[in-house]
Amino acid sequence: MDFEFTKEEKALQEEVRKFIKKESTPEMLKETEEMGDIYGAPEGRKIIQKMAAKGWLTPTWPKEYGGLGLSDVASYMIREEMGYHGLPFGFIAAHMAGPTILRFGSDDMKKKWLPRIASGELEFALGYTEPQAGSDLSALNLRAEDKGDYFLLNGNKLFNTSCHIADCHWLACRTDFTVAKHKGVSMMIVDLNSPGITISPMVTMAGWQTNEVVYEDVHVPKDRLVGEKNKGFYYLMAALDFERMFPLGRYRRVFDEVVEYTKETILDGKPLSKDPLIRQKLAQLSTEIEVTRLLYYQLAHILDKGGIPNYQSSMEKTFATECAQRIVNVGMDILGLYGQLKEDSKWSQLKGKVEKFYRTSIVETIYAGTSEIQRNIIAQRGLGLPR
Amino acid sequence: MDYDLNEEQELLKKAAKGFLSKECKPLFVREMEEDPQGITPELWQKMAELGWMGLIFPEEYGGIGGSYLDLMVLLVEMGYSCLPGPFFSTVILGGMTLMEAGNEEKKQELLAGIAEGKIFVTLALTEATAGYSPERIAVKAEKDADNFVINGTKLFVPDAHLANYIICVARTKEGGNKEDGITLFLVDAKSQGVVITPLKTFAGDKLNEVVFNNVKVPERNILGELDKGWSIMKKVIQKAAIAKCAEMVGGGQRALELTIEQVTEREQFGVKVGSFQAIQHHCANILTYLETSRLMTHQAAWRISEGLPCEKEIAMTKAWVTDSCRSLLALAHQAVGGTGFMEEHDLQLYFRRTKAAGVYFGDADFHREALADVMGL
Repeated sequence: MDFEFTKEEKALQEEVRKFIKKESTPEMLKETEEMGDIYGAPEGRKIIQKMAAKGWLTPTWPKEYGGLGLSDVASYMIREEMGYHGLPFGFIAAHMAGPTILRFGSDDMKKKWLPRIASGELEFALGYTEPQAGSDLSALNLRAEDKGDYFLLNGNKLFNTSCHIADCHWLACRTDFTVAKHKGVSMMIVDLNSPGITISPMVTMAGWQTNEVVYEDVHVPKDRLVGEKNKGFYYLMAALDFERMFPLGRYRRVFDEVVEYTKETILDGKPLSKDPLIRQKLAQLSTEIEVTRLLYYQLAHILDKGGIPNYQSSMEKTFATECAQRIVNVGMDILGLYGQLKEDSKWSQLKGKVEKFYRTSIVETIYAGTSEIQRNIIAQRGLGLPR
Repeated sequence: MDYDLNEEQELLKKAAKGFLSKECKPLFVREMEEDPQGITPELWQKMAELGWMGLIFPEEYGGIGGSYLDLMVLLVEMGYSCLPGPFFSTVILGGMTLMEAGNEEKKQELLAGIAEGKIFVTLALTEATAGYSPERIAVKAEKDADNFVINGTKLFVPDAHLANYIICVARTKEGGNKEDGITLFLVDAKSQGVVITPLKTFAGDKLNEVVFNNVKVPERNILGELDKGWSIMKKVIQKAAIAKCAEMVGGGQRALELTIEQVTEREQFGVKVGSFQAIQHHCANILTYLETSRLMTHQAAWRISEGLPCEKEIAMTKAWVTDSCRSLLALAHQAVGGTGFMEEHDLQLYFRRTKAAGVYFGDADFHREALADVMGL
């Protein structure tokens, strides 16, 4: 048993921190917050491509595809650091599409796409959800007709967040309507600049944008098909296991700032941090953050042992996202009336960060499978309860 | 990072599980709750022969030289089986205090006896003010020629009725700093003036009131240094807190199994109860409480074993496991329903024990407050 990083991992952590400190700009930090931590906007691309050049975007990948062949623990650690220090950390290409291509893609596809993903040159947008296909992804209906040397695409996608800043759509579509729902789905990579694609913004209460995407007679060349036709649902499920990891870094940072605030803010002659109720709440959150850390690195440990996290991913995602909500809720309680003030108010505290993350935190327990779906998975896969 | 037990620990776990499933059945647990001794000499001797009592003592004192993590593996299984008896008091409270504070002579004399299952030692720490901070130590020991004379009442002393020796935590100096002036005395339980009265407890474990009436203890029976006993006690309390976490994790594991058995067998409205989403979500929460409690306990025990700084992790762990396992048991009862409320059902055994373990060596609030200090709040 060993719950610490190796010497090499600790050294790498130091190096990553130094790099981020040196390369971060106020513009990048602001942009990342406005984007909701996703990758693809101009300032983010500048710093992430520099990171990627060191192999830090895809550290577990083989060297020939732009990786470093490092452990998953190292990779998880880097992502946690990125979140904590305000860098984008939601990567569709590097963390979901890439690993799927690595496992299921042809050699040609690997050579064509992986190095460009590893360098941060290309970002994908996730194209799963549709108006009628949220938690039940097998209900997706975007139609892809096989026209010989290309597919012809028609239909709608919803809540496809990165579409307005990404290069390609990591698209799940239906290639066969005659078989059982999950047997007729295919995955393909679609250039988001293709004629016939219309992206309409949907602005969230957190301030950042997600999108509705309409496909009208869009042509997709055959070599953009990932793996085999009609096997897409299987790839998609495998990729979801990568997505269901949730690094808490961004919220951990908010927590640390709230803790500092309670030490520095004097009320009735003593710091807020001396209030027994506040002490209890902060100690509880600090404990939950530690619990999350253990769950998070457990996933990396399972991967490093050659396994695939199963219900453990759902457990981590659920625990971490609910913990995130508790962090900002306590933060709002501690700030009290001040918590309502937006960043540019004269009296706002902690640059309005707490209210901003309070708004954001609501979606964390919804996307990538709601907490209810995750608990079904924990019960069914983790405990063998009947479906 | 490595989250797994090593091979030897896996073997120990398997062996302990096998032994306890035969020797410590739920009926036996119930009998021992009623039994004034709380253990049979036969079972105690068998456990001693397996080397359990000496697991963490160095070989020169008749032990096996195992780590604290090894001990935790055993404690999880003990919690799983609701093992009654004085293992916790003798090995952890008595044995570990002696290991930390006993001189060579005392260690030679007593640890081998504990390891052989022949000597019982317990710790008289808490008092009527019931708590684990140094301010709460009021029982007095005053110097009188070659002896110290102890006066006062200790409460919640585990297994004092069996003990050959009671380690009494007494105040030897009054003054500003409450941590200073606390001394540990090794008291022969047969000493004149020691009066032991059993307390009836809701978890069926054997706690006692121990009254010290002018009890004379020779100066050579001081463990550690005069007035400096609290630093030792602090360590013992921390390790004991994690030991209780391990027991709760074991009990939580059994509670989960009992729940899954029930919800996969019982049908309502023509389907298995376990197919209802409300029940599945309860079960998912139970598993999450259990696995996070296990991870936290493993980490804290590992840090203790490695001699790493662990004050923060211990406080977090006891706070987390106490609350989580309490919630876990409540959810288990909710899923199992009325059957689990019956005396014949085992779930109630774990429900009671988990709460008792939760308040022992600091409840969640106590440890969160300790953590707040570590965080510099």
